[in-house]
Amino acid sequence: MRRVGISQSRQSFWSKLWALDWALIILIVMVACIGFIALYSAAEGSFSPWASKQMARFAVAFAGMIVIAIIDIKWWFRFTWLFYVVGLVLLLIVEIMGHIGMGAQRWINLGFMQLQPSELMKIVVVMALARYFHSATLEDMRRITFLIIPLVIILLPVGLVMLQPDLGTSIMILMVGGVMYFVAGASIWIFIAGIAAVLGAIPIGWHFMHEYQQKRVLTFLNPESDPLGAGYHITQSKIALGSGGISGRGFLEGTQSRLNFLPEKQTDFIFTLWAEEHGLFGGALLLGLFGLIFLYCFIISLRCRQNYSRYLALGLSVNISLYVILNIAMVMGLIPVVGIPLPLISYGGTSMVAALICFGLMMSCSMHYDSKVAH
Amino acid sequence: MIFSYRLRRNAVKIEGERSSALDLARGRLVLMGGFFILMYIVFAVRAFDLAVIQGRAISADNGATVELSAMEGSEDAPGTLPADIARRGDITDRNGALLATTLRTASLFADPHLISDTARAAGGLAKIFPDISYGEILQKLQSDKRFVWISRNLSPEQQYSVLELGEPGLEFKHAYQRFYPQGALGSHLVGYADVDGRGLAGIERGFNNYLNSGETLRLSLDMRLQHALRREMTAVIDEFSAIGGAGLIMDVTNGDILAGVSLPDFNPHRAGEALETEVFNRLTLGAYEMGSVFKIFSIAAFFETHDVGMNTTFDTRDPIRIGRFTIRDYHAENRILTIPEVFMYSSNIGSALMGRAVGTENLQNFYEDLALTTPLDFEVREVARPMVPSPWREVNTLTASYGHGVATTPVQTISAVASVVNGGYLIKPRLVLAEDEGKASTDVRVVSEKTSNKMRELLRLVVTAGTGKNADVAGYRVGGKTGTAEKIINGRYDGNKKISSFVGVFPMDAPRYAVFIMIDEPKGTKRTYGYATGGWVAAPAVSRVIASMVAILGIPPSSPDSPENAYGQDLKQYVSAGKGEH
Repeated sequence: MRRVGISQSRQSFWSKLWALDWALIILIVMVACIGFIALYSAAEGSFSPWASKQMARFAVAFAGMIVIAIIDIKWWFRFTWLFYVVGLVLLLIVEIMGHIGMGAQRWINLGFMQLQPSELMKIVVVMALARYFHSATLEDMRRITFLIIPLVIILLPVGLVMLQPDLGTSIMILMVGGVMYFVAGASIWIFIAGIAAVLGAIPIGWHFMHEYQQKRVLTFLNPESDPLGAGYHITQSKIALGSGGISGRGFLEGTQSRLNFLPEKQTDFIFTLWAEEHGLFGGALLLGLFGLIFLYCFIISLRCRQNYSRYLALGLSVNISLYVILNIAMVMGLIPVVGIPLPLISYGGTSMVAALICFGLMMSCSMHYDSKVAH
Repeated sequence: MIFSYRLRRNAVKIEGERSSALDLARGRLVLMGGFFILMYIVFAVRAFDLAVIQGRAISADNGATVELSAMEGSEDAPGTLPADIARRGDITDRNGALLATTLRTASLFADPHLISDTARAAGGLAKIFPDISYGEILQKLQSDKRFVWISRNLSPEQQYSVLELGEPGLEFKHAYQRFYPQGALGSHLVGYADVDGRGLAGIERGFNNYLNSGETLRLSLDMRLQHALRREMTAVIDEFSAIGGAGLIMDVTNGDILAGVSLPDFNPHRAGEALETEVFNRLTLGAYEMGSVFKIFSIAAFFETHDVGMNTTFDTRDPIRIGRFTIRDYHAENRILTIPEVFMYSSNIGSALMGRAVGTENLQNFYEDLALTTPLDFEVREVARPMVPSPWREVNTLTASYGHGVATTPVQTISAVASVVNGGYLIKPRLVLAEDEGKASTDVRVVSEKTSNKMRELLRLVVTAGTGKNADVAGYRVGGKTGTAEKIINGRYDGNKKISSFVGVFPMDAPRYAVFIMIDEPKGTKRTYGYATGGWVAAPAVSRVIASMVAILGIPPSSPDSPENAYGQDLKQYVSAGKGEH
């Protein structure tokens, strides 16, 4: 963000590389390194099986992020609808493959990694909404008919993801979609009505929920009711956070995680492992770094002159920050266990790729903040 | 701020309606930012709450295994050492013999990066731990990890030897471990706990919170008797190639369970690896048709409803046909029998006739009063629901009179026998030693004193002259009743698969102890002329258990010329000299 003025879209590759948001990149690398350290510790002080793989994926996805950032935002604008259609098709493919195979199918095997289209769809939905709201005027935003199409844009993938079934991701898409409406200027009353509708739908939705999902909500409300069963995650996570104390047990010293008391320690509950070993300070450091990243992303979206890039940057930063916030809230026992990874830290290929795509697009928005996209 | 400067500059460039749309967007963006800041504040408060306020009770060096309980105890004892809060209480038998205890053990791990001479360290460790090979240890010490387990739960000698190695890369992790010094003996009643000190079965489960509070629990068990009972049952199971068995010794005056054996049993230290059949608690979780043992209850019910003498007779010459059922006698006498004869020859027809005289409703109520038809209320919580006929028709009354169609657990059965013979008050089985150690409540009467006395005499007669002769121990006036039930396999009674049992009580003139042994699928041997009935299989085992018991407990026999020895013998006047001698 140091460079102002001249249109950067026609600059050479090298000058563009120089113009990247290097501060943001450094923050991202720092957070990712914390992730590697945590994964190294999760494997009892070993690079295999998690840390080494995660580092390799990060390297590949990092290169992808730089490429995405350098491509002018107008190209992303132009191909938005295509991405949306491709995303829907991928979701349909897993749905069909899931029927052919056994049980819940959420990914496509690419050989070197398992691709979860639903993770990518979250980004594509944000792009599509940004594209749609790009040319909207305030009058448009007050017309209910105008607001129906984005609802379809959101609900189509939500429905497909629900079928997988992946409740966490569908809720995430819904929330990010709602935020896009909100920022694009939809009337406050729509949100009040929406929230009322959701509250009204809870008893109906409850009926359609899988038994394990119902149990998760119930044990969240009272985890001590079933400390050995579904409440185990939450209870163990809280114990681990508590046992870390202020300064932590020390690197490679966390007993809850080490002794396998903590399930999913390398994925959704990795923050617990980090906080147990590095205490309140370590947790605050990680949250501080994430906070700086959020701040940076919000500023990027405030800076953008085009509605598309503004909405896109905003939607993506909300996407990332919601992930972080919900994951931390989950491991601290503030919300039910919904299976949301911690971006850049949790072990997992798609989540890493998705996070870095988000950052790449945001950096593209930032670098081409005054680039003209077609109206 | 450079950002705000630039924002203002941008704003100027944008005109009219678009500008107001952007303003709106910016306002809402700030609102979003505010939401995230709020979430951060919530996190800060929560993290402080978990790490500092709730975390204080969880000490850093205390091993993970005790932390659940430490958390439970965090409110009342924030200042004390977690070690004191967390040590799970012991379980002992009535004499103080240790059945379960918790010891602090050390487990050895290594940080390979800190070990300079791996070969030397591995060599030293291989000497201390003969069960791990030198190569295995070397491989661990040369690994790239920062944490490898070497061995768990070291003995103090091993720990000392490791310390003598003086290797800085070797460290101990301390944890509490549950030990069961008696091993398999009593494992079904004592139960077991997992590595976190959570009781999963038996008393460990039933009294989980109590034990976690650090209290010692004294059981009514007497491990000497437990051992004697298990020894005799194992011998019988071997001799008759049976698949298992259940045995109990109870104090009939207060319901204290002195011994309880379910075979096959298991090592509670490795409960997870035990077979399902081994972990299965036949004493409380197995419901079995007890066969003729139930005649004790139906005849008692008959005395309760009919004030008649022992000379009352029943015509057992013809099998009873009711519906598609035919009730036959196993030891058929084919004549008119008095009540003592019905009991000592274990006549199904006679008992069924008595049950018919008692009436369906009365018999149902009587079984319910004896707590035979409802799930056992017991300190071990793994209890089976008894099986009772549903609907209960007249035919069920007749079969239930000789123990068919009703399945109960061994603990229930021995408790009901105790209630009938102890003078008539209801016995609730107890496994935890009561404070007073003495009398149980005599409030609830199930049979009259008079009926109880009649039943004592009848039980004695079975052993002196009936099917239970093998159970006698000279000088101890043993009484009892045999039971042989066919097992139901795939919904049909299988004549070759039996459950043979015997419940013995002594001394019969003033009952104090009941001994129950039930053997599952015994096969007849040459010695028993192929018989595998309760009288041949279980009765001799009960006799041997009683012989051991009186030696352990120091109970003197009556002298040979004592009048006590003649107890119950006047009933013989109602027994005709027939072919009863078998």
